[in-house]
Amino acid sequence: MKRKLMAAIGVAAMAAGAVACGSDGDSGNDNAGGGGGGGGDKPEAITVWIMTGSAPDAWLDELNTAFEAEHGVEVNVEIQEWNGIQEKITTALSEDGTVDVLEIGNTQTVGFATTGGLADLGDLADQPWNATMLESAQVDGALYSVPMYGANRAVIYDKAIWAEAGAEVPTTREEWIEALETIEANTDAQPIYLPGQSWYVAGGFMADEGGAFAVKEGEEWAGALNTPQAQAGMEFYQQLQEFSTAPKDTDEATPQQSVDVVPNEKIASWIGLGWEAGGAIAAIEEKGGTADFGYFPIPGKTADEPGHVFLGGSNLAVAERAGSKEYATKWLELATSQEWAQKYVDAMGGGVIPNRTDVTASPEAGSFAEAMVQAAEVGYLPPLTTGWANVETDPNPIKSYMTKVLNGDDYAEAAEAADAEITDRINRE
Amino acid sequence: MTAQTPGTPVAAEARGRPRRPWGAGLVPYLLILPAVAALALILGWALVRNVLISFQEFGKRQIITRTTEWTGLDNYADVLDDDRFWSTVGRTFVFMGANVVLIMVLGTLVGLLLNRLGKKMRLALSIALVLAWAMPIIPSTTVFRWLFDTQFGLANWVMRTLGFDGYEQHNWFESGFSTLTIATVLIVWMSVPFVALNLYAGLTTIGGEIYEAARMDGASAWRIFWSVVLPIMRPFFLITTFLEIIWVFKAFAQVYALNSGGPDRESETLPVMAYIEGMGQQQFGAAAAISVLTLLILLVALSFYFRLILKQEKEQQS
Repeated sequence: MKRKLMAAIGVAAMAAGAVACGSDGDSGNDNAGGGGGGGGDKPEAITVWIMTGSAPDAWLDELNTAFEAEHGVEVNVEIQEWNGIQEKITTALSEDGTVDVLEIGNTQTVGFATTGGLADLGDLADQPWNATMLESAQVDGALYSVPMYGANRAVIYDKAIWAEAGAEVPTTREEWIEALETIEANTDAQPIYLPGQSWYVAGGFMADEGGAFAVKEGEEWAGALNTPQAQAGMEFYQQLQEFSTAPKDTDEATPQQSVDVVPNEKIASWIGLGWEAGGAIAAIEEKGGTADFGYFPIPGKTADEPGHVFLGGSNLAVAERAGSKEYATKWLELATSQEWAQKYVDAMGGGVIPNRTDVTASPEAGSFAEAMVQAAEVGYLPPLTTGWANVETDPNPIKSYMTKVLNGDDYAEAAEAADAEITDRINRE
Repeated sequence: MTAQTPGTPVAAEARGRPRRPWGAGLVPYLLILPAVAALALILGWALVRNVLISFQEFGKRQIITRTTEWTGLDNYADVLDDDRFWSTVGRTFVFMGANVVLIMVLGTLVGLLLNRLGKKMRLALSIALVLAWAMPIIPSTTVFRWLFDTQFGLANWVMRTLGFDGYEQHNWFESGFSTLTIATVLIVWMSVPFVALNLYAGLTTIGGEIYEAARMDGASAWRIFWSVVLPIMRPFFLITTFLEIIWVFKAFAQVYALNSGGPDRESETLPVMAYIEGMGQQQFGAAAAISVLTLLILLVALSFYFRLILKQEKEQQS
């Protein structure tokens, strides 16, 4: 509630700020000339956009207090919702001094970097960033944002139900299916909750087979769902989905699996992120129950390698038209420095993959983070290109294709239609 | 501008008496000038801007870099070349036709009923109609969404209670057709009150003696409606149908809020398509082209209707 209110106030303030800038460009902020830029006067405050749930309040407060003490510049943190964030960032980047530092989802960063809306952060390039995360933060070798955190999915299971069924934690796909069959036979629980459009999960199964959502052919990208690899990945998804009574035409967020589904139904396992597991535990406790969850990485085809998982996460960037690029960069540098990055990872309970190699996450034994970190090495990222953000946007062709395949439509036909749409969108700016 | 206009009648008067009708003819135009100016400012500017954008490549990059890239007719060529656009045009017309026919037929029936009811029942029905009409679009769409919910929906419960099979977890939004059918029920429900109440208002102006005379001649109820009520109320039916066509054609919130044009974009109508291409894909140029084309299609489709109404007015004047 409070966050929503804060976001609403933030938006209102933003709108007011935009009007102020529009009416009188020169007196707006500290730097004359729209581009912002270094040097000159010290701003009174900088504005930082953080996505909801990305950073603990305590860490932010402590960090901002330290920053204010050092530079005498106030930091206004505005919490943003993911819904509709692309349009919001587009608007913010087109205005002078609306936002200084902003968190951008790692699949969307390249899209904004190529528009010229993000400042070049070349000075920060020599820090020991996590190599996979760095890929999503740069364009053609130039650094337009720095990694903030990484996160990926793991399987969350109800220990009591698994014990009741006599199922064992699997290390391969085959064992996984066996375990689900055992649960189905021996309990009345839903063996796995898997809605039809959990496309990040399906992408992992495709990556296990060597497939991808799209591939680069020369200069152009093309949808790659109508390939044997993608089909094999989707077949395994379908096999899993048959254990679930979840709707085939929604994703894991509608209804929100962690707080709306898992606490209200008897579900033996589900695939989720760390914050989802936390949300489910809180919701169950609120209802007076106790959650006893175990976690394991999504099993791969063999026991040597866990299944591929989508490497989610965020980057931090400085707006090209920031009110004060200088102090924005200083804040960014401080927030992602070894000291504060370590504090961040600790504050998140080790539930994130650190952005720097000199930061260590020490997850507790049996925690979600422990399972997550095991899989992080075989992560995959969707195509890192400007047009990818267009593909992700609803109506997402991958989601429609998944529903069609699960409903028993002809595979080639559904995949071809989705490929055409992906190709069309991904090559667009 | 304002300084100049009052001068005109004065100038006309100065020329002498024979020219007087000229100045008098200007007064009505002066009187509607403020309204026209306000409209031009609010609607006209947006319209002009929309047309301009439709000739531009206008997306995320152009907004952020603040550049204007003119592309001529490229957006139009792309849209007209897109099979999805044409299937959406067809779908929009079928949807609009079904809705308008249902609205007019049901609205007329309810209007006639209002005219025949006793005082108390008429009041009750009027209140019910006004409530349905006054309900804001998004809340009523949300209620409809819940009524047809897969898990907890009333519609599934009713079907089960009536003894139909397969409604345990029936998904009413699984195809574009069923989604648009629900949208039709929603839009008809929202629009019937307007037609019914207006028809009732019109009917009260028909004197009782006309009905009496018709009945004396042995006309059946159907005959009275067809030969007496319909001709008298013809202007009402023409203008209401005209308005309903426009309203249903541009119905956006109902269709979009029900299922976002899904599944797989199968329930998109033209305004929804323009929104999804524009806001979702941040292709504002293409979306502007779609909306301009929508406007043109609507104008062409309604041009015969304009003529019909103009003809009607002429007949009444003579």
